[in-house]
Amino acid sequence: MSAQGSARSVMVTGASRGIGLATARRFWQHDNGVVDLILVARDSDDYAAAVAALEGHNEYRKRLHVYAADVGDKQAIGALVAEVIGDVERVDVLINNAGYTSPLPIHEIEFADFERTMRVNVYAPFLMVQKMLHLGNQFELILNVASTAGIKGRSGWLTYSSSKAALIAMSEAMKEELLIYGTRVVCISPGRCATALRRTLAPDEDPATIMQPEDVAAVIEMLASPVGRFVDSENLVVRL
Amino acid sequence: MVYSLVAADAVPPITQIVLNYPAGWLDDVRKIIDHYAIKTAVTYGEAGATRHESVRLLLPLCDNEMVLIHESARPLVTPQDFHTLIADERENVSYMLPIPFTVAPVDPKTRTVTGHLDRSRLRNVQLPQKFRRSTLIAAHESVEQSGIQFTEDATLCAVTGAEVFFIDGSERNFKVTTKTDVRLAGYLLSGEAEE
Repeated sequence: MSAQGSARSVMVTGASRGIGLATARRFWQHDNGVVDLILVARDSDDYAAAVAALEGHNEYRKRLHVYAADVGDKQAIGALVAEVIGDVERVDVLINNAGYTSPLPIHEIEFADFERTMRVNVYAPFLMVQKMLHLGNQFELILNVASTAGIKGRSGWLTYSSSKAALIAMSEAMKEELLIYGTRVVCISPGRCATALRRTLAPDEDPATIMQPEDVAAVIEMLASPVGRFVDSENLVVRL
Repeated sequence: MVYSLVAADAVPPITQIVLNYPAGWLDDVRKIIDHYAIKTAVTYGEAGATRHESVRLLLPLCDNEMVLIHESARPLVTPQDFHTLIADERENVSYMLPIPFTVAPVDPKTRTVTGHLDRSRLRNVQLPQKFRRSTLIAAHESVEQSGIQFTEDATLCAVTGAEVFFIDGSERNFKVTTKTDVRLAGYLLSGEAEE
């Protein structure tokens, strides 16, 4: 565990767009003690463009570590964690942000799709943390991005709501178990936010009228700062 | 056991952890060390029939001349507890607490009270403790013939002639034995007690 304020490494999953990218930008563009920024996302044009934009604007001479991986693949997570710890040595702050959904009513859900939802939204954060613990990594902060959909299930969101409810409960268990290392485990539940995932959930909504990824990223930055410990005791709802 | 191991692992002057295991449990104990990524070198030794015997059997496995003894039944030990013992300039030191109640000497067979003990002259023995390894080995050797079993090593070393000191322990670092103790320890370790 590194002391607050010393050089920190921050890892963000789902970093190619939405809340993940906005969060990566905040840690990258501010003078905040973060020296190593570790990004994880699947290979895509969005991801390449996001990485290029960050590299082109490195005012505080931070180090960017870019990994392409599908966190829905258990084997890929094992390889990824070993590679990251090999390269960067330790991860002080882990932001489990990667999320997946394919909203359908119960009659139409393909079981394989429910499995993928659970793999990305539940098993990936679990495996990320467990594999790093097994390698002796001691986190300062783990931040899991759940959803208000995990607090109350809604028609058509069965798989997504179930997975986020699991993530909220998992965060509570992790919080107690990792207290021994002084690790803070924080769970946030953003409400409607203008991301690609939200467009999947609510295709007819005007994104300009709802909360923006940058707003959630600002809350995440606050939670990762020393003041975060005063508001992190429960699943934190972030919504407009 | 995990709580004590994690606390000891965070103390750099501790260069070796000598861990005992009940017969048949070595693989399970090794798995715990692996899962919790304990960085300090661990040496394993099979437990004896009694606590007294277990310490005697583990001593030859210790690489260092100064040895700390801890028991996993005290999971609320802190890295600072180990640091304080290590920093103490005396060789043989145990944490102890004053006794806030009266202990009576009795004859259990006849169920009679046989006298009086002055509690200001008694202490509740806690772990961890620190000893010079050769002192501890000599103490165990000197009572081996007599067959007398000690339940901890500060009194063993003292009655066999070594100079043993005590420093004040913490009531938080209590020994978890009863079901009530388990609930209390769980409460304190969960962080709820900080509320």
